[in-house]
Amino acid sequence: MSWMNKTRLDKSYSLGFLAVLLVLGLVLPSGARSLVVQVMVLCVFAMAYDICLGFTDQCSLGHSVFFGAGAYGVVLSLLWLKLGLIPALLAGLLAGLLLSVPLGIVSVRLSEAYFVIVTAIISAIFHLLAMDMTWLTGGDDGLSVSLPKLSLGMVDLSVYDPHTNYYLVFVSLLLSYLVLRRILDAPLGKVFVCIRENEKRALFLGYNVEWYKLAAFVISGTFSGLAGGLYAVTLRYASADYFSFYWSILPIVWCLIGGLGTLSGCWIGVLLMCLFQYYVSAWFTHYLLIFGVLILVVLRASRRGIIGYLMARG
Amino acid sequence: MSEPVLTVVFLLMNGLVWGLLVALIALGLALIFGVMGIVNMAHGDLYMAGAVLAFFLGPLLGHFWLGLLVVLFAIALIAGPIERYVLRPYEGHPSATMIATVGISFILQQLALAAYGGIPKKMDPPWTASFSLLGVDYPGYRLLVAAISVLILGAVWFFLYRTSMGILVRASIEDRQMAEAMGINTSRILVFTFVLGCVLAAVAGVMAAPVTQVSYLMGTDVALLSFIVVIVGGLGSLAGAVITALVLCSLEGVLSAVLTPVQSKAAIFVLMITILMLRPRGIFGQRNG
Repeated sequence: MSWMNKTRLDKSYSLGFLAVLLVLGLVLPSGARSLVVQVMVLCVFAMAYDICLGFTDQCSLGHSVFFGAGAYGVVLSLLWLKLGLIPALLAGLLAGLLLSVPLGIVSVRLSEAYFVIVTAIISAIFHLLAMDMTWLTGGDDGLSVSLPKLSLGMVDLSVYDPHTNYYLVFVSLLLSYLVLRRILDAPLGKVFVCIRENEKRALFLGYNVEWYKLAAFVISGTFSGLAGGLYAVTLRYASADYFSFYWSILPIVWCLIGGLGTLSGCWIGVLLMCLFQYYVSAWFTHYLLIFGVLILVVLRASRRGIIGYLMARG
Repeated sequence: MSEPVLTVVFLLMNGLVWGLLVALIALGLALIFGVMGIVNMAHGDLYMAGAVLAFFLGPLLGHFWLGLLVVLFAIALIAGPIERYVLRPYEGHPSATMIATVGISFILQQLALAAYGGIPKKMDPPWTASFSLLGVDYPGYRLLVAAISVLILGAVWFFLYRTSMGILVRASIEDRQMAEAMGINTSRILVFTFVLGCVLAAVAGVMAAPVTQVSYLMGTDVALLSFIVVIVGGLGSLAGAVITALVLCSLEGVLSAVLTPVQSKAAIFVLMITILMLRPRGIFGQRNG
């Protein structure tokens, strides 16, 4: 297993995946296309989560907070501020950022077990509040929104056109991937990996571990916000349900299946889980039961996931 | 006494009774974390399982307290294998145990949903007498629940601090490797402690069933509260868990006189964050968690 080989595998896999997505938008029938759109949105969420768990080994159970905040950031800024689509998406991103800074400050300095539990408590409290504050969130019924046109300087495109919708999400996925890849290739990313591999050693080398953990947490929360915003845009809807615990568990499962700490490995996990959900929930009402069993099986089978396994084999 | 004072006394009583039940649950959680480093996300669902089983077994056996005993054994039979065959490889890695127990939690919830249905149901208390306390009529069953909880807490204390098996458990909390090196069969201790912790949650569930509504999601609220309790009290601190449970629940009870339930939960949450900012290991915590 050589380092070059590993990077090449990772690069070709990621580019291949993106290329296939690029082509699929033109050829897929509408039903499958909306499924792929959903997969792409959740891929953004999964990558964001991977920054937290895969690269700095912080197992957060509170990412539904940022996902939900992003969704409401978009929906509320469309409803109240009448922003354009791109500014609204940025508002979703900003919502993730603004929430992840204080929550990160509270939680990153805690030890592992405390971190897990406190993030879980945070998400549970936000879920309760979101369910309760119906004047703001619409509670369980949620808020629907009609989308303005996507203005790209010269042309205005309607997002209700399925191709525009598809490529809006695709470009967001591509941009998120490129930005996150760039961050991870930069020295910042190397410090993240260093903290994951040996936190004490990073501390002894003179790195301000808490600060870097906070940075990873905030980057992760920001892009989770973007993912939530995209999700709200594709469904034209946000509800308090986005804050639920289920949305904190899903990214863990995606990352575990696809491969922790590979950034793009989780895409496979998202794809498999979406297909699983789509088909199994159709014939089995208690599909969460199978989901639970799946969590146990995946956790037992390998901590590296599919892409991690392939990489380790070189 | 005037009307508002009576209301506060009543709410305080409710908070204390509830606090004793939460103390049982949080004690189980703290024990399991202390010995095995397992963050048991399924703890609330074991509480739920206790209540749901009691709902079925009570009428079947014709006797509430007999049902309680049967539920104890049923939960012990479920919990033992879970620890030995599912959770054992992850022990000491809080994140991994957390993910695994989330899986177990989904399984328990869905099984309960399939067997019991999604609609919350009421259960009649086995004892309907009521007492007059300081001029307030108070349901006797709740006092009975409080008394039994105190008895159980006392029994657990006696077990941990006055019996030889308890010494082994505490030795495993203190330093598991050393305990193993001294020839203690830690595998047995681990299974035993996990079962004890789960049974505590299930007992609380059975006793809470007639007080609250029985539903397959009743565990989530309780799990949230007991996690806040163990965090504030300090992970792995047994006395801390019990004391914090009583204080927090009475506080929540009194707060509910002026706030809505969600607001008082949020107030407790703010309190927790403040305490964590001042003491990142909780009030009574010392161990590395």
